[in-house]
Amino acid sequence: MSRSPNGMKNISALERRILNRIQEDLPFTPRPWRDMADELGIEEDSLLKSVAILKKKGIVRRISAVFDPRKIGSVSTLVAARVAPGNIHGAVKKINSYGEVTHNYRRAAEYNIWFTLIADNRKKITRIIDEIKGDKNIDKMTEFPAEKLYKIAVKFKA
Amino acid sequence: MLSALDKKIVNTISRDIPLAREPFKVLSQKIGISQSALLDKVRSYKKSGIMRKLSASINHRKAGFKYNAMVAWNISSERIDAAAEVMVSLPEVTHCYRRKKAPDWRYNLYAMIHGATKKACLRVVDKISRKTGDKDYRVLFSLEEYKKSGARYFER
Repeated sequence: MSRSPNGMKNISALERRILNRIQEDLPFTPRPWRDMADELGIEEDSLLKSVAILKKKGIVRRISAVFDPRKIGSVSTLVAARVAPGNIHGAVKKINSYGEVTHNYRRAAEYNIWFTLIADNRKKITRIIDEIKGDKNIDKMTEFPAEKLYKIAVKFKA
Repeated sequence: MLSALDKKIVNTISRDIPLAREPFKVLSQKIGISQSALLDKVRSYKKSGIMRKLSASINHRKAGFKYNAMVAWNISSERIDAAAEVMVSLPEVTHCYRRKKAPDWRYNLYAMIHGATKKACLRVVDKISRKTGDKDYRVLFSLEEYKKSGARYFER
């Protein structure tokens, strides 16, 4: 086991190379894992096995396509809520009950719950925000819609 | 606009794809088109930019990046693009958006920073602040993650 610059100790050097590679596009070919394995100089089956282990360890959440919401006609936004400490459980339950909610975090600020929403139209976003706002666990809620995207590049060097 | 078939494809491939030797074949059968038709679609989505990527999403906590800070800055509109340019040049900054202010929240530029330690995140914030000269900001570390899922684009 080698040590990575960010302190990930429980993975091998090969797993680290695989992790760095699979955060880039899969080859858009009939045998993407074989083609990626060729790049890495390993066998297709051992790559598939390693990825399965990384998933089992919870390091890889999923392998899936990510679309630009605006370019497919979807709407996304960021919402912040003020919730009293004793009401967080109830508020989170309400917020997370919507499939349109993709991220939800507690953060240290006067607005202590921050979540993102994505839906195929603005009306739906507004309706969901209004419904969540009506929850008795939530003291105040404010939407912070994006006005400009400067960067989105989620890749973690393993 | 996307066709009904496109929407079906987008929905299918934005879920966890099967760990099989021929994942696109499995998916194309699910969708009801040929594998080559699906691959053509995927390539065209990438080329037109509607698809950002088709790749692994990592649990950054388990990958050693235990801390994430959402840093909200109050920056004048004349200088905001220049400040954003500084932020996006740093690899530790994964997301950067300009957002609307609110009467009780005067911040308009958001940078998401990931790091192995709190200190590492704060060093990045400090670096940005020294470069841009901006000092009116809030560092919001995430204290708990309640949800982190892939988007469901076209579900009723």
